Amino acid sequence: MLWYKSWLETRWRFFIGLGLLICSAMGGVFTYPHFMKLMASVPMPNLPGRIGERIHEAVALAHTYRGFVWSQWWRQNLAQTGTLFAILLGIASLFSPSRGALFTLSLPASRKRLMGTRAMTGLGELFVIAIIPSLLIPLLAPAIGERYNAGDALVHAACFFVVATTFFCLALLLSTVFSDPWRPLLITLGIAIVIGIADQILEVPFVGVFRVMSGESWFRSGRLPWLGLAGSIAASAFIYYGALVNLTRRDF
Amino acid sequence: MAEEWIVEANGLRKTYDGFEALGGLDLQVPRGSICGFLGRNGAGKTTTIKILLGMTAPASGSARVFGLDATQAQPSVEIRRRTGFVSEDKDLYDSMTVAEITRFTASFYPRWRRDLQEKYLRRFELPQERRVKALSRGMRTKLALMLALCRGAELLILDEPTSGLDPAMAEEVLQALVGHVAREEMTIFFSSHQLTEVDQIGDRIVIIDRGRAVVTGALDDLRESFRRVQLVFDGAAPAAEFRAANITRVQRNGRVISLLVSANADAVVDEARAWNPASIEVTPVTLKEIFLESIRMEGD
Repeated sequence: MLWYKSWLETRWRFFIGLGLLICSAMGGVFTYPHFMKLMASVPMPNLPGRIGERIHEAVALAHTYRGFVWSQWWRQNLAQTGTLFAILLGIASLFSPSRGALFTLSLPASRKRLMGTRAMTGLGELFVIAIIPSLLIPLLAPAIGERYNAGDALVHAACFFVVATTFFCLALLLSTVFSDPWRPLLITLGIAIVIGIADQILEVPFVGVFRVMSGESWFRSGRLPWLGLAGSIAASAFIYYGALVNLTRRDF
Repeated sequence: MAEEWIVEANGLRKTYDGFEALGGLDLQVPRGSICGFLGRNGAGKTTTIKILLGMTAPASGSARVFGLDATQAQPSVEIRRRTGFVSEDKDLYDSMTVAEITRFTASFYPRWRRDLQEKYLRRFELPQERRVKALSRGMRTKLALMLALCRGAELLILDEPTSGLDPAMAEEVLQALVGHVAREEMTIFFSSHQLTEVDQIGDRIVIIDRGRAVVTGALDDLRESFRRVQLVFDGAAPAAEFRAANITRVQRNGRVISLLVSANADAVVDEARAWNPASIEVTPVTLKEIFLESIRMEGD
């Protein structure tokens, strides 16, 4: 029944995240033909600098459906919205004094089990958020006369899930430090934004956090970003362990 | 036969940001007793309870419940399996309905008493489909109590069980507790600063002040042994010094010296005669007097 409690705690965040990302994925698929028409009719602006390069790259990528999906979905919509919901799902009010923490702690369940159940529930939801909207892309592609490899979708979704898990664990860790949900949310979000900006500025191919999350190396060269994925898994495990130690030692 | 302690703590210390919540607390609760844990706000009652349930770790000292070490993670889980608990704030899950939180709680306890669940749901008139957040303070207390009583627990730990309740509701809760204990074999350890309710249902008390137990014992024994010895003098009361060790408090006021004696009042009376008082009066004391004098003494 701890699963049920964790589910009750997170279900609205999960449903909202899933709903938003399903809409976003469907919107991406069905706007592709209109986007292509628009691109054909509008002359390419000659913008200087990094922004100009990004626009040119996005337009160039959009000449293939696979490139459009990577640029719009894996690199932007899922990476940004998905990360936000990974953080939201990681914020655990299970130990908040205003959410029945003493009642929870009076149950014959170890803190390790409480934390494990909460983490597994949230990660399960994050997995669904990563997979379901992503699978809609190959599923709906024939409706606009395109094809998209389901295997590609699964690889990209897996890359997103692995990296997003690190942000999830960070939010979980901060939830064991702070009693309110706002500080874990803002701090983790702030860290994600800083990492995102650093990714853009440093432009180290294939190893930036969000580049790993979007599966850039898989898209460009068919190689999995093993190093980045392994680093994310190690970071997640380390952060989760920190959360567990902190929770075990915490006084209520 | 030696008493079996279901709760036993020795030298418990706990400090929060420089504030000493517990300063070497010793505590024993015998099996089968209803032990009132009395003290002012901030005396260390809730901290003690949290340590016994593994919610807070002591800085030093030992705490054992059912003979199990309450400061270790695994034994603490076993302690909670055998203990019912109601927190001061009646902490529950607001988003669940009464039926949901009942099912949820029952799933953790193999010895969950469905017969008692039905009984208390009816008796407390708890609306099963209502969300916990929509319950009144009294209903919330009854629900928390019902969830604690049905666990098939050997020990019930209640932190201020009637706080915030009107007298009628408080009485109903206390009667439910008394009735429950009369039928089930269990020990109750409850904190309170309501002397009347401790007097009403308790058979044993521990008075805690500034993190230390200042009075411990069976209520009947304390009532029997505690006496007020009042010496009235013809003129101003002398600055008398008393050697008897069991004098808890001495008050001098004009012609009167008032002594609170924790045991053996006769010896104190014999010693007092040496000061030639005009009269000596020995009277029983109430629990309220014992409590107030004990914590006042510590405060002086």
